[in-house]
Amino acid sequence: MKKKLLILLILFTVFTGKALEKKHFALFSDRDTYASGETLFLKVVAPSDEPSGVVKVDLINSAGKIVVEISKKLTNQQADGFIYLPDSLSSGFYLLGTTTKISSELTFKEIYVSNRFTGIPETGLALGPKITNQIVEKEVPEMQIQGLVQGYKARDLARVTLRLPDSFISQISGNLLLSVSQTTPGYNPATFSANLQPLKDTVIEKDGVIVEGIVKDLKTGEPFKNGLIFMSIPDSLPRFDFFLTDTDGRFNFNLDNYYGNIPVVVQGFDKNEKRVIKIAVKHPEVMTSGLPDFESRTVTPELRKIAEKNNDAITFSKIFNQKEISIQPVQMPKKESYPFYGLAKSVVYPNLFIDLPDFTEISRELLTGVKFRAYNRIPTLQIFNSSQHTYFNDSPLLLLDGIPVRDLSVIKNLGSKEIKRVEIIQSERHYGNLTFPGVLAIYSAKADYLRPVESDELVRLNVEGIQPEASLNTVLDQKESIPDLRRVLLWEPSIKPEQSINLDFKVSDIQGSYKLLIRGTTRDGSVFYKEQSFEVN
Amino acid sequence: MANRIIYIIMLLGLLTATSSMAQDQESGNWDTEKIKGTRHFPYPSYSGNPYLTDKFISGEIDFADGEKIEKLFLRYSTYRDEVIYFNRGISAQIVIDKLSISGFTLFGDDGTKRVFRQQYFNGFNSGNRFFEVLSDREITLLAYRSVVLQYCPVYNNEIGIVKNMEYVPSFNYYLYTNKDGYIPIKIGKNPFLSKFTKPNQKLVRKLLRQNKITIKDEPGMVKALELVEANRIAINF
Repeated sequence: MKKKLLILLILFTVFTGKALEKKHFALFSDRDTYASGETLFLKVVAPSDEPSGVVKVDLINSAGKIVVEISKKLTNQQADGFIYLPDSLSSGFYLLGTTTKISSELTFKEIYVSNRFTGIPETGLALGPKITNQIVEKEVPEMQIQGLVQGYKARDLARVTLRLPDSFISQISGNLLLSVSQTTPGYNPATFSANLQPLKDTVIEKDGVIVEGIVKDLKTGEPFKNGLIFMSIPDSLPRFDFFLTDTDGRFNFNLDNYYGNIPVVVQGFDKNEKRVIKIAVKHPEVMTSGLPDFESRTVTPELRKIAEKNNDAITFSKIFNQKEISIQPVQMPKKESYPFYGLAKSVVYPNLFIDLPDFTEISRELLTGVKFRAYNRIPTLQIFNSSQHTYFNDSPLLLLDGIPVRDLSVIKNLGSKEIKRVEIIQSERHYGNLTFPGVLAIYSAKADYLRPVESDELVRLNVEGIQPEASLNTVLDQKESIPDLRRVLLWEPSIKPEQSINLDFKVSDIQGSYKLLIRGTTRDGSVFYKEQSFEVN
Repeated sequence: MANRIIYIIMLLGLLTATSSMAQDQESGNWDTEKIKGTRHFPYPSYSGNPYLTDKFISGEIDFADGEKIEKLFLRYSTYRDEVIYFNRGISAQIVIDKLSISGFTLFGDDGTKRVFRQQYFNGFNSGNRFFEVLSDREITLLAYRSVVLQYCPVYNNEIGIVKNMEYVPSFNYYLYTNKDGYIPIKIGKNPFLSKFTKPNQKLVRKLLRQNKITIKDEPGMVKALELVEANRIAINF
C-alpha cells in the first residue's frame, strides 16, 4: 500500500511539475542609469501560460508610488515599449515593474535616475530596494559576437555579426533583444521577481485596456443591480457602449485597440429611474501589493560620475532638439464608418444663420422637428417621429460632443457661436437592447467634453490605452557640427533568431564604456544573455 | 506514512486546482448583441409579399468590422432591400443599419442556406444592394431579389377593403467578377448562350445536352454556369 502511494506521489509530482513550475516575466531595459528627461526602452517577455493579451509596465519610486504606467499589447508573449522619464523625477533608485492585471507574478528591475537639474544629492545616500528572489540570467557561451573591437572612436561605424548555433536556436522562445548602450561600471542592478495578490473580480485584458468599476445604491451603499452604464469616448465618430449591471454591481468596458491617452466618460443611472446610484471606476494599482522594502544605500562614485556626465549630455541633446524615439503611426483596425446613433438625414450648422442666443431659439428657428422648451425653467426636449408623424413622448438621446447628456440645462445656454453642428435623427433608434426615441447630437465649436458636470453618476477619466509602437532614432548621417549625444546606439527588441545576424551601428560622441547585449528567453522560461563590452574614446 | 502521502497528494491537488482556476476568468458583456438599427414599421398591406420569407427565420449577420452574430431571427425585405431582425429582449423588429453589415445568411426550416452579400451596384439605380449569391466561383451568379409596389386592377383584400396596388416580384440576375463587374442575365437557355462567342455557343450547347442540363430555373442556371467554368469556356463580359 505504502509503495503504491509513494509511486502515485512520484507520478503526481512528475505530471504536475510542469504546472507548478514557477514562471516569471522577463523584463529588460536598454540601460541601468538614466537622467530625467530621457526615454527608457524596455522589453517584456510574459510566461508562456499567461492568458492576458496586455502587459503593464510601471515606473515606481522608492516611496512605492507609481510614477508612470504603460500598457503594451503582447505579441507572441512579447512586448516592447518606452517610458518618458519626466524631469520632475528626483534622483534616486526606481523600480520598473511588470505584470498583467490577473497575474500573481511580478518582475522588478532596479534602475537609477538622476535629475538633470539637481544632480545626485551630496549625502550620496538613496533608498534602494531590498533584493529577494533575484532572477539569474545565464550566459550562453556558444553564442558568438564577431567583429566587435575593443575600442572605437566617436562616430565610427561598427559592423558586428552574431553567430547562433542551430542547437541553441531551437531552444529559444520568441525573438531576441539586441542592444548596444552605455554602461555604468560597478553598478549592476538586479532583476527580481515577487508574488502578487491577484486582483479579485477583474477581467482579462485581451486586446485592449479595460475600464471597470462598480455601481452602488447611493442610499444603501449596496452594489446595484440593473444599473445602466454608458461609456463614451468623444471623437469625430464618438464611441459609445453600455453595460447593464448584475447583482454585484460591476461593469467593464473593453477599449479594444485604443492607443495613447483616451478621454473617457462613464455615467450610469437606474434603468427603472427609481434609485440614485453612485459610480466608482476602479484603477487598481496592481503592483503595489508586491513591492519590496526599501533600504538606505550609498551611491557609488562611479555612478555619480556617469550620472553627472549624462545630465550634461541630455541637456545638450534637448538644446539640439534631438529626438530619441520615433513613434510609429498606429494601424487602426477598421472602425465604424458612421456614428453609433446612425447617419443623420438632417444636419444643421447654426453659424450659417443669424446669431441666436440660446438653444431654445435655435430649436425654434433652425431645427425642424425639434421641440426644446423651458417652461417654468424646466427644459424639455422632444423630437418629431417622421414615420409616425407625431412627436415622441419621451426625451430623445441627447449627445453633446458624443457624450450622452441627461441634464437638459447643460445645453440650455448654447447659442449659435457655441455650436458647430446639430444632427437630428427623427426615428426610433436601437443599439442592442437600448431604444432611443430620436437622437439629437450637438457638436460644440470647441469640442469641449468637459461640459457635462462630474457627479456621483458621471465620471470623467483619462485612460492610458495601449502604447503605440516606437523605435530608437539611430542617426547615421549626423552632421559633424552637431554633436551626437546618443547613449543607446542600438535597440532592436525583436530580432528573429538565426544562425547569422548582421548588425551595423554608429558610435556616438559620448565617450565611455558600452556593451553589446543579446538577451532572450528559452522555452523553459529562463533568461539568457551574451554580452561584449567596448570603449569609446 | 500512508496517511501523510495521501495528505500531501490532496494538498498538491488543491494547489494545482487553485492555480489553474486563477486564470479562468472571462470578460464581461461587451460582446453581446449590440446591433444598430431603426424600428421597423409594417409596410402598407397589399396583396403579394414585401418580404423574402413569410416569417422570421434563423440567420446570421456578417458585420462590416468582421464580427459575426449567429442565431438571430431575420427577415429580408425585398421591397426596401433591408434586413430586419427580431430583438427578443425588447420584442421589436429592427432594421439593421445597412452600413454596418457586409452580408447575411438565412437558414430555412428544411436546412437550406441562402447567402446574401452587400455589394455596390454601379448600374441603373446605383448603390449598395444585397445580392443573393447563387454560385460563388470565379464568376459569381447573383440574384437581386426585388419587389416593387405597383398599381393593379382593383381588388378587395381579405377584410373587404378595396385596394389597387400589389407587391410584384422583380428578380434580376447578374454574372459578376471583381474585374469585369456586372452583366445582367436572364434565366433561360438562349439568354445564357448569348453570353458566349459564336464558336463557343455551339460548344456550350453540346455540353449542356451531354450533361442533360436545362436552364429553366435558378438551380439549372447554376449548374450550367459551373459546367462552363469547369470546361474553361470564356464568358463575354
